[in-house]
Amino acid sequence: MISAITTNLPVFIIIAPLFVAFVLPTWAQRKRLVENLVISVEILMLLGTCYLASIVLLQKGIPIIYQMGGWSAPWGIELKVGSLGTFFLLTVAIVSLPVALFARGNLTHEVGGKERVARFYVLYLLLIGALGGMALTNDLFNVYVLVEVATLSCCGLVSARNHPRAAKATFTYLILATLGSCLVMGGIGFIYIVTGHLNMGFASQELGRIWQNNPRVVWMAFSFMLVGFGVKSALFPLHVWLPDAHSVAPSPASAILSGLAVKGYLICLLKVLYNVFGFYLMRVYSVHKIMVLVGMVAIISGSISALTQEDLKRRLAFSTVAQVGYIFLGFGLLNTKGLTGTLFYLASHAVIKSTLFLSAGAMLNATGKKNIKDLSGIGRKMPITTAAFTISSLGLIGIPLFSGFVGKWQLLMGSMETGSILPVSVIISGSVLCAAYLFPVIRIAYFGTAPEKDCKDPNLPQKLALIFLSAAIVFLGVIPGSFLELANRAAAELLVLR
Amino acid sequence: MSELIKKIIMNYPYFAAFIIFVIGALTVLTRSNLFKKLIGINIMESAIFLMFVAAGNIRGGAVPILSGKNPHTLYINPLPSALMLTGIVVSVSVTAFALALILRLYRSYGTTDLRRIYEMGNEVSE
Amino acid sequence: MLSLIIALFSGAVGGLVVAMIPETKNRLRNYIVLFFAASSTFFTWRTAFMVFAGESVRVAGELGGLAFSLDPDPLGAVFGLIASTLWPFTAVYSFGYMAGKHKQRTFFTFFLMSLTMTLGVAFSGNLIALYLFYELLTFATYPLVIHERSAEAMKAGAKYILYSLSGAGAILIAIVLTYAWSGKLDFSGGPILANSLSPGLNWLLVLFVGGFGVKAAIMPLHRWLPAAMVAPTPVSALLHAVAVVYSGVYGVLRTVYSVFGHELIGQLGIRNILPWIAVITILAGIVIAARQDVLKRRLAYQTVSHLSYILLGAFILNEWGLAGAIFHMISYSTLKIALFFCAGIISEKTGEIKVSKMGGIGRSLPKTMVAFSIATMGMIGMLPLNTFWGKYYLMKGSVGAGKWPLAVVLIISGILNAICFVPVIINAFKGECTKTNGEKGGGVSLMLAPTLVLVIVALLIGLMPGIVWPGVEAVVNWFY
Repeated sequence: MISAITTNLPVFIIIAPLFVAFVLPTWAQRKRLVENLVISVEILMLLGTCYLASIVLLQKGIPIIYQMGGWSAPWGIELKVGSLGTFFLLTVAIVSLPVALFARGNLTHEVGGKERVARFYVLYLLLIGALGGMALTNDLFNVYVLVEVATLSCCGLVSARNHPRAAKATFTYLILATLGSCLVMGGIGFIYIVTGHLNMGFASQELGRIWQNNPRVVWMAFSFMLVGFGVKSALFPLHVWLPDAHSVAPSPASAILSGLAVKGYLICLLKVLYNVFGFYLMRVYSVHKIMVLVGMVAIISGSISALTQEDLKRRLAFSTVAQVGYIFLGFGLLNTKGLTGTLFYLASHAVIKSTLFLSAGAMLNATGKKNIKDLSGIGRKMPITTAAFTISSLGLIGIPLFSGFVGKWQLLMGSMETGSILPVSVIISGSVLCAAYLFPVIRIAYFGTAPEKDCKDPNLPQKLALIFLSAAIVFLGVIPGSFLELANRAAAELLVLR
Repeated sequence: MSELIKKIIMNYPYFAAFIIFVIGALTVLTRSNLFKKLIGINIMESAIFLMFVAAGNIRGGAVPILSGKNPHTLYINPLPSALMLTGIVVSVSVTAFALALILRLYRSYGTTDLRRIYEMGNEVSE
Repeated sequence: MLSLIIALFSGAVGGLVVAMIPETKNRLRNYIVLFFAASSTFFTWRTAFMVFAGESVRVAGELGGLAFSLDPDPLGAVFGLIASTLWPFTAVYSFGYMAGKHKQRTFFTFFLMSLTMTLGVAFSGNLIALYLFYELLTFATYPLVIHERSAEAMKAGAKYILYSLSGAGAILIAIVLTYAWSGKLDFSGGPILANSLSPGLNWLLVLFVGGFGVKAAIMPLHRWLPAAMVAPTPVSALLHAVAVVYSGVYGVLRTVYSVFGHELIGQLGIRNILPWIAVITILAGIVIAARQDVLKRRLAYQTVSHLSYILLGAFILNEWGLAGAIFHMISYSTLKIALFFCAGIISEKTGEIKVSKMGGIGRSLPKTMVAFSIATMGMIGMLPLNTFWGKYYLMKGSVGAGKWPLAVVLIISGILNAICFVPVIINAFKGECTKTNGEKGGGVSLMLAPTLVLVIVALLIGLMPGIVWPGVEAVVNWFY
């Protein structure tokens, strides 16, 4: 029995949230039950992921290949539990648990009605399942399907609050995201036409042999993939949908969208770029240079746009655009340090950005306003929330001993290896700009005149969620240990010459 | 020149797919009517379906149903068609969701023109 | 090792304790502040003596995948001694100055926190630790700058943060470059970049000096410093005349002697430009100071000028230059703090902040103005005071390096200092006495005592420079 569970654990981890998502509507009326179910699925997922991660770490780089239905590749579909997969799965599990916990706090208020709570959780679990699938899948078409599942649930989450503004943002998001998935599917089609395989390993081998026969098709595949995933992960200048979508969503949804969903698409892009095309082809087509360039532009322009926003959640949303720039830049560095840093940065940004959105949500809920200047003096009334916001801001700015710095440092080391000082200076200017747009919030919260309205820290589950996430930020910043090790190994595996 | 034309004629499904894709993308990006945008998305998706199905086609190939009596040795690749079935399902769900959103927007704003919806700003009540 | 840890974290722990004490319990809070400041001082002295005795007091560990180490060498020990010794004095002064003012709890919390950050800068054994504490020092002192919460204070605070963080950004770029080129970050075991020679080194040095120069107030990066004078006077005295600005100066000294090493800089093309940057700041700072009417702003520009004395000593690149820099660091801090203390007493007791309206003030505040005059003599560099020796070594160093114009600049600067402040003193003792004696009651004794003690200390050092010489000598021997 136990061995049946452990051998099939990779698939259980993905199936569990999806399955629960489908049965949840049955008990839509019983809010407590629904919430407990969601939390227990999340906890199980976290435990399972930790187990998988420990196995992967102990096996020293040999991935667990799980063949769905017992069919071996290239006929069957594979799940590959390697360093990269477990790394992202761990990130998903670590972030989604506290977000679910936070949602428990006052979701009824956030989504505007008790009957909508269960629907929110259905979408939430679908998204988590899809993200877990993205982490583990080793099949191109599965990537497409999971991306679509994630996109639809993201759109649903954005419009979870039944409000015309939400519907408007969702529609823009839906149209652009579908455009992106069309491009992704087109890119997959090109790869399939050239190689005849959908399994990443086989496609990669085949591509390495015969790419010279159809260089233009490979080029098309590259550009379709880059633009497609670029739209989905809100790469500047394809980010137009993000600020609206992430700021009108309910806070837990914003947290999971900005923190994890965007990262899921980036992981898919990473897999396609490195596991299918391989870094050799990236270099041949100079894709890495484009990525570094676009990443730098995104960092600067995203940060400057964030500076001009008065609405706190919009400011945070633009900050995500800038942070996606860091990750794109890192993907283009093509060296182990750079990729390690990027992966760690990706994970730490997932944690940090969810903390930021959750604490911002709590503050905005308490005041009932949405602009930064309305948060005046809230630091004294809501100490835990503001402390969480401060810790995560310091992490995002990149102060040593917070998780953001660990990744940023590796990223900086990696960018040094390209021989140019420009990426290094852009990354650090990005940090300074980040301080410029986050510090005023902290200043107003702690040193502004006290609010007249009586604001209080949110209820216990929300406080717990914030404390958990803040602790994770500090923990990852001080003892990144095996988490960094996992990222390092994943980066090394991505850069193996095939 | 004739070489190019020959290439186009040989690969006509792909060129058709390309043209359809461009039409769809232009519709999505230039039209401000919500329905037209949605239709554009559907056209784009059809282009991708066409490309996939064409990729599986083998000239002179038979339907890939294996049975003892079947004399053919050349089969059409069934995999892309099967994949596109999934694609169609996804496309339908996107369409359904988008239609629901359009309905919601129309009820609140009284128009299906995205530009006008944006002009109205955030003043609309629930 | 234990004393190093206690010295470092006394401030942070004390800050947390103070934060938990209710706002109204002023007396209890004052005792606690004094206790933690004094304990930090005591253990810093212990650590420093161990360092001077040649013992290793290294604390190192890997945090966040990076090696952090605390490993004070004589230079760090001297800076730590200066900062931590002046802290209790300022604490006592603050008890008098802050009495009856608002938000005392916040003030003392961050006052103690800054102590930890400053000592962290002093004790850091590698560039990462230095960067961490340098960055944290900015955040810990920010609440002190905006203590008044007025629009002006907020503006000054924003300026302070903007300048400091940009500087820290430049430093981080420089650290990354250093690490990429040399593969190490530790200060121990000779200069980091000792054996590398590449054309980029000139720019690396510019990045480092520019980054640390923000806090060291090198012109034109100095503008946050006069603005930050809206802070309460103890803050201006301790942080913006000593601790914070010294962390920048200390960073430059580290860059010159531990990152590059004086031998490497001696081969760089930029070595001839650096002293002149300091010279421009020395002269321009004091000239602008003479035009300021607000006393604290005048003192601030004088700080800008005098910080560059120390930088000049670092950029001369010989033993006497370094000795002069260290000596000036020690002696200048005692007197400058006293000057600010006097300015605080004047503004508290008479309400005057403008120099032009301070006629006759010497009659009502005689002790204060005597202390002020003595300290001013020191700023000019007259003999019975300790600053004379620093200046003397600096001149010796510049002549020894064949750069005699620098010595002339130092003399001119002394004269300008005299032009800037002697009229103030003459004016203060002239004219009618407005109040009979303002130096009574209301915590004045708490403010006056540290001022007078510091001036007496300065006189003692000036008469017997031998008592601080071992420290200076240890630093010079460490690097040469």
